[in-house]
Order: sequence, then C-alpha cells, then structure tokens
Amino acid sequence: MQLAEGVLELQGEIQAIRRDIHAHPELRFEEHRTAALVADKLRAWGYTVTTGIGGTGLVATLRRGNGNRAIGLRADMDALPLQEHNDFAHKSRHAGKMHACGHDGHVAMLLAGARYLVQHGRFDGTVHLIFQPGEEGGAGARKMIEDGLFDRFHCDAVFGAHNWPGMAVGQFGVNPGPMMGSSNEFEITITGKGAHAALPHNGVDPVLVATHVVQALQSVITRNKKPIDAAVLSVTEIHAGDATNIIPDSATIRGTVRTFSIPVLDLIEERMRQIAEQLPTAFGASGSLNFIRNYPPTINDAEQTAFAASVMAEIVGEENVVNPIEPTMGSEDFSFMLLERPGCYFFIGNGDGKHRDAGHGLGPCMLHNPSYDFNDELIPIGATIWTRLVERFLASDSTAKAS
Amino acid sequence: MYLAAHPAVAAIRDWHADLTAIRQQLHREPELGFEEHKTSALVIRELERAGVDEIHRGIGKTGVVGVIRGRSIDSGRTIGLRADMDALPMQEGNDFAHRSCVPGMMHGCGHDGHTTMLIAAARYLAATRRFDGTVHLIFQPGEEGFAGAQAMIDDGLFVRFPCDQVYAMHNWPGLPPGTAAVRPGPMMAAADKVTIRIDGRGGHGAHPHLSVDPVVVAAHLITAAQSIVARNVPPLQSAVVSLCALSAGHPGAFSVIPATATLTGTVRTFSDAVQQTIQSRLEQLAHRIAEGFGATAHVDYERIYPATINSEAEALFAQRVATEVFGAEHVVTDLEPSMGSEDFAFMLRVRPGAYFRIGQGGAGQGRMLHNAHYDFNDAILPQGGALFAALAERSMPLASPAGT
Repeated sequence: MQLAEGVLELQGEIQAIRRDIHAHPELRFEEHRTAALVADKLRAWGYTVTTGIGGTGLVATLRRGNGNRAIGLRADMDALPLQEHNDFAHKSRHAGKMHACGHDGHVAMLLAGARYLVQHGRFDGTVHLIFQPGEEGGAGARKMIEDGLFDRFHCDAVFGAHNWPGMAVGQFGVNPGPMMGSSNEFEITITGKGAHAALPHNGVDPVLVATHVVQALQSVITRNKKPIDAAVLSVTEIHAGDATNIIPDSATIRGTVRTFSIPVLDLIEERMRQIAEQLPTAFGASGSLNFIRNYPPTINDAEQTAFAASVMAEIVGEENVVNPIEPTMGSEDFSFMLLERPGCYFFIGNGDGKHRDAGHGLGPCMLHNPSYDFNDELIPIGATIWTRLVERFLASDSTAKAS
Repeated sequence: MYLAAHPAVAAIRDWHADLTAIRQQLHREPELGFEEHKTSALVIRELERAGVDEIHRGIGKTGVVGVIRGRSIDSGRTIGLRADMDALPMQEGNDFAHRSCVPGMMHGCGHDGHTTMLIAAARYLAATRRFDGTVHLIFQPGEEGFAGAQAMIDDGLFVRFPCDQVYAMHNWPGLPPGTAAVRPGPMMAAADKVTIRIDGRGGHGAHPHLSVDPVVVAAHLITAAQSIVARNVPPLQSAVVSLCALSAGHPGAFSVIPATATLTGTVRTFSDAVQQTIQSRLEQLAHRIAEGFGATAHVDYERIYPATINSEAEALFAQRVATEVFGAEHVVTDLEPSMGSEDFAFMLRVRPGAYFRIGQGGAGQGRMLHNAHYDFNDAILPQGGALFAALAERSMPLASPAGT
C-alpha cells in the first residue's frame, strides 16, 4: 500500500480525536460539540472555517496557488439513537446514543487528510472540507445546500466516502453509476366501516381490504417494473384494530420503496397510488396513499468515478479497487450533493471486526449494530485518499513537476 | 446507407441480388425444428457452390457443418460460426411475393436471414481464405424450442469439429440497420417452463363443502407466486415468473367444480442460483398451499434453455471486429440484456464465444420478431455476412497478410 509519506505520524493524534468523538455521540442537528471540536482543530491548523451552515454544518477552506478549480470533500458527523453494547474505554458516554455508523471515523479521516494537506499538500486551487450534520434521516446534505453551500463555496466536484464493514482493510469499492438506492416511505390508509365482529355484513372490513392491497402491491415489482431495473417495495407495518370482537374502521399499511433511478421510482409511486385508491373501492372501502421521498439514489458521475478509481489504484493497487462494486439498496444523503455537482461516493473497507478493542459487544461489527466500532487503521488510508484526490484534482504544471 | 468500407462488405455486396433471392426462397418454404430438409439441402447446395472443403450433414438430425481451411492451418486455430435454420408454427400476415407457401408456418424470427448471412460468409471465406486456421460453419436445426444446438453437441459437434470459439448473431428489429450490439456477460435469459397441476376433489357447484375446489387453490397460488420475485430474489438480480395459462373446468359446465386445475408459465433468469431459488420456492408454494386447502399439487419444472452468457475476452474481441465492419458509432456496447432466450446458450456453455444482435429495423412499424407481419431485412445481408467473415479472419490472422 502506498500511503502518503509520513501520514502514520498523525495516527496517535487523530485516533485520540476519533475515540473522543465516539465517546461523545450527538444525534442529527445536535452535533454542537463535534462541530466545535472540528472547527477548533481546523482553525488551529490554518483553515478558514465557516460554521452554522445547515444548522451545525461547517466548511473549512484552504487555498494554494492561483488555480481557479475547487474540490469538495465531505464527511458526516451525526450518531444514531442506539444503545451501545461495547464496554471499551471509548464507549459512548451518552445512554441511547452511539456512533454505530462510523461517522466518527469519517470525521477523523477527513481531519487527518486536512492535517496532512496543510503540512505537505502540493496543489493549485481551493479545497473545501464539508462537515455535514444529520445524515441519518435528517437530510443534512440538503439542508447545507439550501443554506447556499455550493453558492458560497464553489466546488467543481465533490467526493464522499463510507467505511464498509466486511470489506478488507486496504480495499476500496466504487461503481460508475448507481451506488446506493433511493429511500422512500409510504403510508396507505384504508377506511372501511366498523362493525361488531359477529355481524360483518353490517360493516366494510378494512383488515381484509388491507391484505388484498398488500398482495396487489407485489405485482408492482413482479409485473410493472422492467425485470432489468432493480427496485424493492417492502410492506413493513400493518396496523388495524385492538379488540378481537370489533371490526375496526380503518387499517394502515406502511413500508419503504428503494430504487436506483427516478423514472423507476415515478412508475412505482404511480402504480401504488392506483392500487391504494382503486382497489379498496371494489370492497366498498376507500384508500389513500401518502408517499414520501426521503433520499434520492446516490449516482456517481462516470468521469469523476474513473478519476477517483485511478487515484485509489495508485494507493492500494488496481486489484484492491472493487470496480464496479454491486450497488446496495441502502441509502445515503450525499446523493443530494451528487444531484448538484459531479462527483463520486465510495466505500473504504473496514475489515471484519477483529480490530475492535477488548470489551466490545458480542454482535457483529456491522453498520447500525450496537457492537460496531470504526477501525482506526483506516485513518492513514483515508488521509491518503483525500490528500491524493486533492493533489490530482488540483494539479498544476508546477505542482506536477514538483512532485 | 452503409458507410463502412470493410473489404468483406464490398465483396459480399456484389452477390447481394443472389443472396436476396436465396433468403426469399428460404422464406417461401419455412420448415419447423428438425424438419429442415429442404432448407439443409439448399444450404448444402450453396456450400458446394461456394467451394468449401468439406460438408457434413445429419448432425443433430437436420444440422449441417461446412469446413473451410485457410491458406494455412499451421496455427491450429479453429472457429465456429453458427446460424439457425428453423421457422415458426404461425400464419404469415404478409402478402408480398416471397410470403410463406406453407399454411400455418412462417420464418417469423428471421432464421432465413441468419442462414443466408452465413452462406454469404462461406462464399467470401472460401473464395479469399485470408486466414490461418479452420472455419466451421454450423447450420443448426430447431432453435425455436427444440434445443437443436444441444442436439448437435450431443451428436459430437465440437468433438468432430473443434472450435476454439463460437459466434452467432440474431437480427434485432429494435436496432436500426447498419448497427450491431454485443457485450460481455448476459445477453439473453434462461427460459424454463413450469406446469403445476392442482388435484382437488370435484363436486357440484351448489355444494362446495363436499368438494376441494382446485380453482380457489390456483388463485391463491398465482397471488403467492408474486412473492418469489418481490421477496425472495435479491433485488439486483433480474428474474421473471409469469404464470401465463390457467385451465380448470369446462365453460359449458357452469355448476361443476372441477377436480383439477392446471397452471403453465415461464421462468426467466440470468444465474443458476436465482434459477434454483425460484424453482424451489415455486415447488414449496405449490405443495404447501395446496395442502393448506386439502388439495395436492404436482409440479413439473423443465429447464428449456440456459442463459446466453458471452465470455469476456471473446465479447470484447467481437466488439472490436464489429467496430471494423459497422464503425464505432454504430456498435452498441452497453445494451440491456433481453429476457428472451436463445439456444446458442448451449454452445456458449461449452465453448467461449459471443452472441450478437445485428440491427435490422422494423420495430417502429410493429414488425417485431414472432409477429405475423415480420420480415427479415435483406439490406443487412452484406454486413451480417461480412461480420461472420471478419470474425474468422481476425481471430485466425495470417502470419503475413499476403494477397490482401
């Protein structure tokens, strides 16, 4: 592995920061301590820091040379509402809150890259380090964009990364095109007519209608969507009634839809609406659909992905860059930034969990698992990829010669 | 219309009128799978006329193989080029002069054109022989559901006629003439046939409690089958389960609950694992749902054609050759796989190679494959023939290109 020269000297300092953030997790849009810590460090290192973008978000800027080009590197800062099962020294100090998705590590990797860039970076242009709040369901990326992120801090391209448990340390994963799915939720309300359970002919049973609707929804995936297009429609909740002898008035169906493209999402929503509104009328009931689009699909730009993959290959060798990696049906709010700017989102292997300190929980080291911990071995790898992306993206003739 | 100036295209274009006559002759006399007697006789006649070195008949019943040796065979290289010959059991809706003379039978898939394109390549290759190795021209019977490719393989095709690589092409109405499409990996899906018989207990329609109604069981099974693709197949894998026919009772017997119901359908997949998942789930659903109603189910799951998967190196080679014949801007390299199927898959299971789509137009006018108004587009005969020929020349180049 070709780590940036001298990057390992940062390990102690940055690992301590990572573990401090892990011990003090903050939920979406409450990342006050984390943001302050990040801002203080970056200012001390010589960055110009602008805080309070999209709530607790901040941007740190470093300029070198006269180049007009600018690159954005993004890390998310928020933790999850989850009780940690680990019992090592840096375990969460806050009951019911935990860095179980490794955003503590994302912050640490970008800080390490920032520190290294200041000390050794050879580039000609502007680097914007974007520390965003509320990735976990808060659409913090969109909030920052709405707060003028890309107007105030012009970026020709943006890059983001996620640690990836199960993938070996020293590997990267990337796909030119879809990387993660769109995330959407829906609620279908079926209104029938309540009655005594012994006298069903006096009512319109919404429970029976709900089961028919759930069955009919399967046909959207199996009969309407083109087989080559990937999509998921999962009904995850059905609620109706609370007594054994009463036919309830209404039933509620909830669930999630995932797709890799907006047209497929449009098709699914349209078909779901038709089923939800029309099918209940066949039983004398009525139905309505509330469809909420949360995160759009995370779609990488082909050109920027080819660029990023070439930089990864320089660091870990082509054989350790999984390209194309199979996209996942999970979702990610970096997608909002990729809708605004060309760029690339990639995975960094977090290993199989053997890195965890003694006292870790008995569960697997997987994202959103209470026994998860970010792998600090990734800090120098992360620092190297961020540094090299900047140096290659903002290379000038003079810096190219100098290197 | 064609801009490419490939020498094989130019040479074959000189025979365009003659090749068109051959194609239309084939169209007039369609024959079904393993009955391609007149067709194979015509093929043999044309191969003799072309001056190939050997002709072998009766391989996989009506299959024919022609052999052409290059100026040199020192390289020891071999290539197989394959065309299918059979027609479809359907009534032609066209009324042009070369329409089918056989009622209820039609070249509705353009195999008449595939056969003619390979004849064109045979003529060119036998006349020029600018390659170092051996070309095997494979004219196969029964592609339309008869697994003629497998029949030829079982009859020793690749033992008697070794092929380092095999190539085939299918005309594609959705692509314009003058284009080709090929890519590594899946091109066409595996096609399976499933037949499910549900045995209940027949009875009087007025007294359902005395019977076990197989119609209700069938309805539940159709609905439950939707869960396989929606819930069991990984979302990134493509698969289709279509239950296309349901048969139970007699329309004249409005008051008779039948004893049995039969469902027939098709399953399409690109991977063996997904195929196995779907078969297992269908069997479990059929048996257990039937039992839940006191009926029994019998599942007959038949794997007809495997998935057509192009090998990586040969598909990339095929893209390069297609670029030489059609021009880079006319070669589609990122095409979507089709859920249709193709028995060339059997050959690609045992030999590396690639399957092309060759554009012929007509989709806009509704002249799709298996449509009664379909006709092969004779305009693409020179390029199709040249593509076959160029694959042979490029895969087995002469040490020094003397005489070119």
